[in-house]
Amino acid sequence: MTNSLSHRSGAQARAPWLTLQRRDAIEGWLFVSPTLLGFLIFFLGPLIAIFIYAMSDWNFLSGEATFVGLANFEDALLANPDFWLVLRNSAVFALGLVPLNVALALFLAVALSRPFRGVIVFRTIFFAPVITSAIAWAIVWKFLLQGEGGPINQMLAMIGITGPNWLREPNWAMAAVIVTRVIKMVGLNMILYIAALQAIPRDYDEAAGLEGASRWQIFRLITWPLLGPTTLVIVILTTIGSFKVFDHIYQMTGGGPENGTLVLAFYIYQQGFQFFDIGYASALAIIMFVIVTILTLIQVSLRRKDDA
Amino acid sequence: MANVQLQGLKKSFGAVEIIRGIDLQIEDGEFVVFVGPSGCGKSTLLRLIAGLETISQGELTIGDRTVNDVPASARGVAMVFQSYALYPHLTVRENMGFGLKVRKVARVERERAVADAAALLKLDALLDRYPRQLSGGQRQRVAIGRAIVANPSVFLFDEPLSNLDAELRVHMRSEIASLHQRVATTMIYVTHDQVEAMTLADRIVVLRDGRVEQVGAPQELYERPANIFVAQFIGSPKMNILNVDAAKALLSGETLPQSATQCGVRPEHLQVGSAEGAGLRGTVTLAEYAGAETLLHIELEGGDTCLALHRDGTPPRVRSGVTLTVEPSRIYLFDQNGVAVPTAA
Amino acid sequence: MTRASWNRLAWIMALTLLALPFVFPFLWMVSAGFKSVTEIFGAPNLIPRVWRYENFAEVFTYQPFARQYFNSLYIAGVVTILTLLISSLAGYALARIRFVGAGLIMLLLVTALMMPDEVTIIPNFFFIRWLGLVDTHWPLILLPVFGAQGVVATFLMRQYFLSLPKELEEAAKMDGLSRFGIWWKIAIPMSRPALAAVAIITFLNSWNLFLEPLIFLSSLEKFTLPLALSNFNDSYGLPLWNLQLAATTLAVIPVLIIYLIAQRQIVESFALSGVKG
Ligand SMILES: Nc1ncnc2c1ncn2[C@@H]1O[C@H](COP(=O)(O)OP(=O)(O)O)[C@@H](O)[C@H]1O
Ligand SMILES: [Mg+2]
Repeated sequence: MTNSLSHRSGAQARAPWLTLQRRDAIEGWLFVSPTLLGFLIFFLGPLIAIFIYAMSDWNFLSGEATFVGLANFEDALLANPDFWLVLRNSAVFALGLVPLNVALALFLAVALSRPFRGVIVFRTIFFAPVITSAIAWAIVWKFLLQGEGGPINQMLAMIGITGPNWLREPNWAMAAVIVTRVIKMVGLNMILYIAALQAIPRDYDEAAGLEGASRWQIFRLITWPLLGPTTLVIVILTTIGSFKVFDHIYQMTGGGPENGTLVLAFYIYQQGFQFFDIGYASALAIIMFVIVTILTLIQVSLRRKDDA
Repeated sequence: MANVQLQGLKKSFGAVEIIRGIDLQIEDGEFVVFVGPSGCGKSTLLRLIAGLETISQGELTIGDRTVNDVPASARGVAMVFQSYALYPHLTVRENMGFGLKVRKVARVERERAVADAAALLKLDALLDRYPRQLSGGQRQRVAIGRAIVANPSVFLFDEPLSNLDAELRVHMRSEIASLHQRVATTMIYVTHDQVEAMTLADRIVVLRDGRVEQVGAPQELYERPANIFVAQFIGSPKMNILNVDAAKALLSGETLPQSATQCGVRPEHLQVGSAEGAGLRGTVTLAEYAGAETLLHIELEGGDTCLALHRDGTPPRVRSGVTLTVEPSRIYLFDQNGVAVPTAA
Repeated sequence: MTRASWNRLAWIMALTLLALPFVFPFLWMVSAGFKSVTEIFGAPNLIPRVWRYENFAEVFTYQPFARQYFNSLYIAGVVTILTLLISSLAGYALARIRFVGAGLIMLLLVTALMMPDEVTIIPNFFFIRWLGLVDTHWPLILLPVFGAQGVVATFLMRQYFLSLPKELEEAAKMDGLSRFGIWWKIAIPMSRPALAAVAIITFLNSWNLFLEPLIFLSSLEKFTLPLALSNFNDSYGLPLWNLQLAATTLAVIPVLIIYLIAQRQIVESFALSGVKG
C-alpha cells in the first residue's frame, strides 16, 4: 500500500497493522470472551438444540430418534389435553400471583417508605423469605398446610373452622401455592417500590398537602402516576418470575393433586426427566422461550423509553 | 520537548463529524490555547492529541514521530483533567508517583521526582494525604504535579480551572503561567474562557464547530480578528456589530470599501459625547457602574442597541441622549459573510 | 392520645398482623425441629413439651448431611468467585471499550437475561452427559456461571462501570497502565458496591439452586442442601417431618443470621439488581 495522502516526507507515514482501533477491538473481545464462550456453549447452542429436538420423536429410554417435523407441536396443541391444562394452570398461577404480589408490595412499600420507629424491623421481616431457599420455604408450608393435624388447620379448628385438606384439593392447592409464593417473594417488589418511592421528591406531596389534598388523593393523583414506570417493570418481572417457579411446586405439590398445580416449568421437567419424552419436552421449552422472550422484549423496550 | 503537528485531523463519532479537518503547527516550548464555545470540539481535539480518542483521518506528529497509532502512554504527553482524576484510594505521593511505578522506575528515582515536583508546587506538606482530604486548589496542584512527574514533552490541560472559585482561578492561572516559564515545555491548554486564553497563551487557536477560525497571538486576535465570530469571541464585553450606516455616522461620513456590509466597534473604543455633537445618536437605557468604569447600554436611533465603556469623568445619565464616535483605526469592517474587510486606514 | 397517634397505632397493628405469615413459618420450623413425630401433629404449641434434641443428631446419620452442607458452601463459593471475575471483565469491556460487535453481544446476552433454566436444561443435560460430568459438581458450577445469573451480573457490573468517572481510567491509561491493569487496579477497587451485590446475589442463588442438582446428582454424598432437604422421606416416600424440619432449620438459620447482620447490604444488593438487571 502506498501512502496516497503523501503530504509528509515521513518514512513512517504508513499506519502500522496494530492501530489503536484494532487494539481496542482485540482487548474488547478478549475481555468478553469467557462470557461469550460460556453463552455460546451453555445457552445459544442448547437453544438451537431444542429446536432440533422438538422436531424429532426421541424417547431417551428407547434411544430411538426419528424426524417428525412439527408433530410434537401438533401433539401439544391439539392432541394432548394435559397441555391445555398446563397452560391454563400457568395462566391462573400468573394471574393470581402477579396482582396479589404487586398490590401487597405496593401497600407494604407505602407503609414502610417513611422512617418510623420499627420500620427496619418490618422491612427485615417482609424481606426475609426472599433470601430463604424455596425448597425450605415449601417444606415448612407443606407441613403447616397438612390436612389432618396440620398446624394451620388445628388453629382454624380452635376458632371453629374446619380447614380443607389444602394440598389435596386442586383449587385449594393452587391457591395455597400462589399465596405461599407471594409471601416468599413480595419482599423483593417491596424494596423496588420503596426505592422508587424514596426517589420521588417530597415537595410534590407537600405542595399537594398545602392545597388541601387528603393522603389518599395524594397517593392516587401524584404518587401512583409517578410510580407508573416502576409498576410496569415490576409487573413484567413478576410475570416472568411466575413462569420460572419450579422448586416451590416440586416440593409442595409435585404438580398435583390431579395435575391441579402442573405448570409449564414443572411440566417440562416431568416430560423430559421423568417420562423421557425429549422431543415433546423440547417443544414445551420452545413455547416457554417464546413467552419469556416476548415479556423480556416488552421490558427492555419500556426501559429504553424510560432512559430516553 | 517537542513540537506538535496536526495535519488534516478529523474525528467522527458514528456518523457525526466532530473535528472537521484541522491543520496546526505547534512549536517546541510554545503555550497554545484552544478556545471556543462549549461543544465546539476543544476537548475532543485535545484527547486526539493525548491518545484518548482514535483519529479518524489525518496525521498527528509529536517530535518527529507520527503517533496516530501510538498508545497514549507512549506519546510523551501528560494530561491535567478538569475533574483532576486523582485516584481516590492512593495518597498524594502515590498518585504523583503512580505513572513512574507503572513504568517500573526505580524507587529512589521515583521519590526524587515526586519530591522535586512537590517542592515546585509547594505540596511537600500534603504528600501523605488522600485526595478527599484536600481542597479544590490543592487537588488541582496535585493533578499538575502528577503531570510534571511524568516529565512529558507536551503538557495537555483540559479546562483545569473551571471547577475552582473565581479567586482561586486567577491565582492558579498565574501559577500555570509561571510553571510554563520555568519548565519551558510545550503546553496545550483548553478553555472556553477567553480571558484565560488571552492571559496565558503565546498563541490562541479559536475553534468553532470542529474547525479553526483563526490562529494568532492574543494581541493579533484582538486587533485583527479574521471574522465576526472571532471578533465577538475575543474581548470583553463583546464587540458591537452594527450596520455600515452606523459606521458612517460614527466616522462622520468617511467613505468605506464597497464590500463592507457590517462594522464592529469594541465597547472600550466608543467615545461617548453629549447629545449635540456629530456622530451616531442614541439614548442611554442602562448604566452599570463598576468603579473604574461604567458599562452603558445605548439604544440607537434605528432601534439597535450597543454597549460602550465609559472610563473617565461622570458618565451620562440614564435616558439622556448621547453621540458616539470612534477613531477610524478602531473600526472593524466585515463583508456579508462576516469575513473581515481591510480598512482603508 | 391524639388522632395521629391512634392512626399510627392502627398502622402498626395492621403491619404486625400482616407480618405473621412471614414470621410464623420460621418459628414453627424451629419449634417442630425439636419435637417428636407424635408431638408434631398434636395440639398446636410453639414451645415443645419435650425437647427432642436427637432430631439434629439423626439428621446427620440419616444422610451425609455435613458433607452435603459443605458441598453447598464450596460450590456457592466457587460460583461466586468465577462469576465476579468473568462478569466484571465482560461488564468492563461492554461499558468502556469501543469495539465492533459490542452491540451485537449485548443484544445476544439480553435474550438470556431472564430465561428460565428449564428452557435449555434438556440439551445441557445431554451435553454434560456427553462430557461425562453427570453426578459431579461441574454442571452446578458451569450452568449458573454462564447462564442467566451470569448475564445479570454482567449487566449489573456494566451499569456500575458506566457510572464511574471515566477520567480516572483515562489518567491511568496515560500513566501507562494496560487495559487489564486499569480494570484490575482502578475499576475493580472502585466498584466494591457492585461487586458486593453480585457476590451476595450469586452466592444465594447457588445456595438455593435446585433444578440442576435434582437432574444431575444421584449420589447422596454429592447432594447439595436443597436436594438433601427434599430427600428426608421414609421408604414410602412420605416426609420424615421432624428430621426434615430439623435439617431445614440447620440450613436456613445460618443464612437468616447473616441476613440479620448484613441486612442493609443484602437488601440494597437486591434493589440494585432489580433496578439495573
Ligand atoms: N464519546 C463521544 N461520543 C459521541 N459524541 C461525543 C463524544 N465526545 C464528545 N462528543 C460530542 O462532540 C462534541 C464536542 O465535544 P467536546 O470536544 O467535549 O466539546 P468542548 O470540549 O469544546 O465543549 C459535542 O457535541 C459532544 O456531544
Ligand atoms: Mg470540554
